[in-house]
Amino acid sequence: MNDFKEIEPGGRPFVRAYLEFMLWFVGRAIQAASKVDDSVRREFAELPEGFTFALTAAPAGPSMVVGKDNAGKVKYLGRSIEGRNLNVKMTLKSMEGLFQLFTFRESTPIANARDRLFVEGNIPEACAAVRILDIVQVYLLPKPVAKLAIKRYPIWDLKRHSWNRAMVNLRAVIGF
Amino acid sequence: MLLPSYYEYCCRVKTVAGHEVLERIPELLSSMHAGKPMIITDKGVVAAGLMDIVTGALADKLVIGSIEDDVPPDSDLRVVNELARKYKAKGCDSIIAVGGGSVLDTAKGVNIIVSENADDLMKFTGAGALKRKLKPLVAVPTTAGTGSEVTLVAVIADHEKNRKMLFTSYFLLPDVAVIDSRMTMTLPDFLTAMTAMDALTHAVEAYTCLSKNPVSDACALEAITLISRNVLNVVKNPTDKDGRLALATAATLAGMAFSNSMVAMVHTIGHSVGAVCHVPHGTCMSILLPYGLEYNMHKNGEYTAELLYAVAGEKVFASTPKEQRAAKTVEYIRGMNQALHDATGGRHARCLREIMGRDGKPMVPAGTLETIARVALGDGSIFYNPEDLDFDDMMMVLTAAWEGVKLDQNMIKKG
Repeated sequence: MNDFKEIEPGGRPFVRAYLEFMLWFVGRAIQAASKVDDSVRREFAELPEGFTFALTAAPAGPSMVVGKDNAGKVKYLGRSIEGRNLNVKMTLKSMEGLFQLFTFRESTPIANARDRLFVEGNIPEACAAVRILDIVQVYLLPKPVAKLAIKRYPIWDLKRHSWNRAMVNLRAVIGF
Repeated sequence: MLLPSYYEYCCRVKTVAGHEVLERIPELLSSMHAGKPMIITDKGVVAAGLMDIVTGALADKLVIGSIEDDVPPDSDLRVVNELARKYKAKGCDSIIAVGGGSVLDTAKGVNIIVSENADDLMKFTGAGALKRKLKPLVAVPTTAGTGSEVTLVAVIADHEKNRKMLFTSYFLLPDVAVIDSRMTMTLPDFLTAMTAMDALTHAVEAYTCLSKNPVSDACALEAITLISRNVLNVVKNPTDKDGRLALATAATLAGMAFSNSMVAMVHTIGHSVGAVCHVPHGTCMSILLPYGLEYNMHKNGEYTAELLYAVAGEKVFASTPKEQRAAKTVEYIRGMNQALHDATGGRHARCLREIMGRDGKPMVPAGTLETIARVALGDGSIFYNPEDLDFDDMMMVLTAAWEGVKLDQNMIKKG
């Protein structure tokens, strides 16, 4: 029996790297959108001071943490959920589920409906977090792709579609 | 029929249904090694004489540890703690919950405390906090609507801190649901109508929302068939035993369906109407159901169309062109509301402005609609609605439901 070889599961490094990048960029884009977009700003204004939410994959998949400090400033807080006091935590049950989400083969509502993710925390705050994620996805993705990710593509004015979109993407890249 | 690439379904509640099945409770408890239950109920159930039926059915076959009827209409943490204390003091080993949603939620809360030997219910809030089986719990519903006898959720209000605590766990599923037609026989006509429409809404939303699956679909379709075939007849002939059993069975089936596939915008808005204006849940459901179906028609019309067979029967289904079936389903549900309104002498409201309180005043003044819409944006069932809903959408639906007019399909945003 001592000769039995322990088989360790593969780590899928490319999938992990892709998800790490996507979560990093989305996290920074949420921070950017909170400064550029009125709806996102309003959603955050309604959330309590110190509010923190995370999107992650179980059991040890990549994560993204976004929070609002006591001054009301929204910040991307990094990739680690360890030791954080999270108000809302959205967890995909597997990294594959998160990959399906971020390759837009399955929208967030469908992933939720198919029991691929679970939400811990205050439900009204989770609803706000989902609305924020939806808006940010519209900013980051071209319309045909965004339509796969959200329930309904919004009707926005030209400024929001062009100027705000450019600012959200630019701020997300430079982290400002 | 939709076959998702992945879905989950779980209902591990033994259902015992019939005209005289309360008598089986001692045997059922005995099979779970219990014989001294605490019976939890409310004063309404006692006043209706239902406890006499229950205790008569149990007489001489087991020792009733205690009968507690102090459950308020809105479950309360203080009451839960007090009942748990009595349960321990009287050496009970199981619980029989006789009543509606509040009684059952209270019983579930008591069961958490006595099974975990805990002093703080807060430790078990949220999803999945319970890790092991609780004491035997038998649920005896006295309305044919909520389906809580087969659901895994309990909502308990902490009135001192003005909050509601949600508990979700498969361990909160009762061990046995006892569906006895005698328990709903004395339900007044307007309550029969309201609770049946509540169950119908559970089933229809379960069948048409994003999280539908083939197993919950089967339960939902049977529930809808039983309700649409029986509700009006039972309202007109309250002593119809078979009809009562059909409605009670339908409510249980609808509970099995929606506790697995969830519900959608009718509940999103309905919960908020209830929270803001204290309107009974079933009344909100019956009024809002046609609007939920109309609003989502462009997304899930094919499923709504499939419901016509269950709602209206084979002749109507066969004679209605495929593309008209979804609208026909909505028309039939509106027709049911109208028929129930007529049969109850107007006590079954058809629109929000028709809902009157005991003082004769409107319970949903037009000025509350904005507050309702804002509260609804934070309701978790919104995740399962096929179409997105923002504040303006909520207001559009609420305004139409308040006035009692159909939704204008051209006003619905389709992205």
